[in-house]
Amino acid sequence: MMDKEKLRKADFFSGGLITLFGMFVIVKSLGMPMKDSWGGVQNVWYVSPAIFPLFVGSMLVLLGSLLIRTALQAIGLSGVVAVVHYFLSSSFASFLRSRETVRFYGIALLLFSFVFLMVPRVDFFLASVLFLLAFFCMFYLDRAELLLKLMLLYCGGMAALLCVLMFSEPLATLLSHPADWFVLVFILIFAGVVRAQIAGVSQLGKKFRIALTLALTAPLLIGMIFKYFLLVPMPFEGLIVELLDLIWYAEIWG
Amino acid sequence: MLLDRIYAFFEIVASLAADPVTLGILFGSVFLGIMFGAMPGLTSTLGVALLTALTYSMDTPMAMVCLLAIYVGGTYGGSYASILINIPGTAAAAATAMDGYPLARKGEGGRAIGLTTTSSAIGTAISMLFVVAISPIISSFALQFTSFEFFLLAFFGILISGTLTSPDLVIKGWISGFLGLFLACVGRDQLQFYPRFTFGIPELDSGIEVVPVLIGAFGIPQIIEVLKTQIQIGKAKKLQKIVPEIWTVIRNFPATVRSAFIGVGIGAVPGIGEDIAGWVSYGTAKNTSKHPETFGKGEYKGVLASETANNACVGGAMIPLLNLGIPGSPPAAMLLGALMLHGVTPGPMITFEHPTFIMEVAAILLLSSMAMWVVGMLLAKQVVKVLHIPTPLFMPIIGVLCIIGSYSLGLNIFNLYLMLPVGIICYFLTTMGYPIAPLVIGVILGPMADENIRRALMVSQGSFMPIFERPVSLILFLIIVFTVLSQTSWYKRRLARVKEKLFRSKHSAD
Repeated sequence: MMDKEKLRKADFFSGGLITLFGMFVIVKSLGMPMKDSWGGVQNVWYVSPAIFPLFVGSMLVLLGSLLIRTALQAIGLSGVVAVVHYFLSSSFASFLRSRETVRFYGIALLLFSFVFLMVPRVDFFLASVLFLLAFFCMFYLDRAELLLKLMLLYCGGMAALLCVLMFSEPLATLLSHPADWFVLVFILIFAGVVRAQIAGVSQLGKKFRIALTLALTAPLLIGMIFKYFLLVPMPFEGLIVELLDLIWYAEIWG
Repeated sequence: MLLDRIYAFFEIVASLAADPVTLGILFGSVFLGIMFGAMPGLTSTLGVALLTALTYSMDTPMAMVCLLAIYVGGTYGGSYASILINIPGTAAAAATAMDGYPLARKGEGGRAIGLTTTSSAIGTAISMLFVVAISPIISSFALQFTSFEFFLLAFFGILISGTLTSPDLVIKGWISGFLGLFLACVGRDQLQFYPRFTFGIPELDSGIEVVPVLIGAFGIPQIIEVLKTQIQIGKAKKLQKIVPEIWTVIRNFPATVRSAFIGVGIGAVPGIGEDIAGWVSYGTAKNTSKHPETFGKGEYKGVLASETANNACVGGAMIPLLNLGIPGSPPAAMLLGALMLHGVTPGPMITFEHPTFIMEVAAILLLSSMAMWVVGMLLAKQVVKVLHIPTPLFMPIIGVLCIIGSYSLGLNIFNLYLMLPVGIICYFLTTMGYPIAPLVIGVILGPMADENIRRALMVSQGSFMPIFERPVSLILFLIIVFTVLSQTSWYKRRLARVKEKLFRSKHSAD
């Protein structure tokens, strides 16, 4: 959490956003049937589906406005002007480049690409291995210069994956599961690049081996528990899950 | 009647304890919970959230064993990191660090962990007694409630949770609660099936899935915070032989019981977690001590007070959850989500729909406290090893578990599309001093508030007068008004003046 002064400055803006959001809720609620008929039923105001959202929206507007007032009492208009100046200054630009902020970008990039790009379209095992390997290499190896390079490499990989997914239908005529094959190759490239970057630093070498081992075993364990013991089909079953199915349901197990 | 209940209770305890599978799951879950609690950055809420997905396919009693055991174990496990590295494993154990760490520095870490183990087990067991004793009273009382009372109760839950959990301004706690209520509005309304805030997305028609939202709200901010700020864990203090410290507990029995009462009381207030129980109990122990100067320097009573209270909070949180459908703490909110997935709707009707359910919960609490004591005594030295695992190694794995867990509840990818943005928004809200517990309580209680206010108005033909005509609703209404008024500067000024007058008259009398 921020310190008190920063909090009050942030409150002015978050209060504004909350007030606007409350207004949006009210406007949308006013579009709901109040006294007119819906589904053949003549409404009365007190059973209208709008009544509760209207109450919530009004409370958000009220509380948001109170928050703005509290913030203004604490920091004054000069405080608000100072914040606007800060947003336009070079110190805000340097905040956006600070180590903590860059780490946040890294985490957000990995989470969003995993959830919105990989999980619905790539074999769950491969997607998880790449996600974990990238996470471990960026944050467990913990080198600022490596973090930026790996973020760029990962971004490039995701952009390329997007292209592969866009052309997956024609590519599938040449090779089954083209996106899975691409991710598999990218995992190898990613691991290779990290290995090359940390070459010569024995301490990092050991950390990398731990990261690689964990990135390979954890998804296997999690995937197997969910798929074969809890009988939860994976979000996307491709190359590796099909291979695991072959082994799991093979006749040799009786 | 009472004897019948006691007999039925012990019959359930015996049947649970006699089943080796149940026992295995109980001990395994307690152990897992202790590990979750011990690792800084992981919480019992997150533990319950992740296990909700894993227990989805189990039958309800087995799932409850799993979830309650991890809740009890997680609440206790936080004390390990508090005592040995001075970083609370969970917020619930923050007060324990005050005296636990100085004890470890003096070379008495083993005794301190022994004391936390015993006092946590006693705290849980006492809270279990309250679940058994108070539940029928609250349940029969709640049967008299009409829609107005339920609406006011839900509204009160959100307000009180916002008031007490806000780390900064109380307004922010309330805003958080109303944001939760907004999320609950999304989807087709229950009375007329009118689509509200669905923006033409068919997946939103059935409303927002509670459990993925809860996993996102609790899990994602935790992952981001831990990895972003790189918590550097210091070297853990050496752990000597674990001593159960039963004699210390017996010597301080009144303090133990008082701490358990505080824990149960705070746990029963909607949305207030174990952390507040720990601090209040610690503060009370310090204020009532003959030697308050010893607190903070390695006082066993301090450790005992916070640990008894935070574990007693578990049972306390079960009371409103089971009888009113209002979660008493964030992990209880998660538990409510899990119960709904298993087709159990907590509330006044639970004693009719599932007559033995409350007894089963109490029995599981008792067995969990015993299992926790055994595991704590035997495996503490092994559990302590998890403190050496760097957070960047387990947090991403927790991320994968959150994602696959959210997906597995309903096998719906859309759950993930909801979970992540909610998690990111919750992270920013936390950074700006907005508490997350009221938001979660809002999401859970929203449908109850919405349906009941409309149903109540339908019965009264649009009149609000029944609120003032029915004693319970009038009391709830007055409490809500007082909660709001107590935060205004006008009230605070008045209170200050009254205090000043009282102080003056006392002085003049002297």
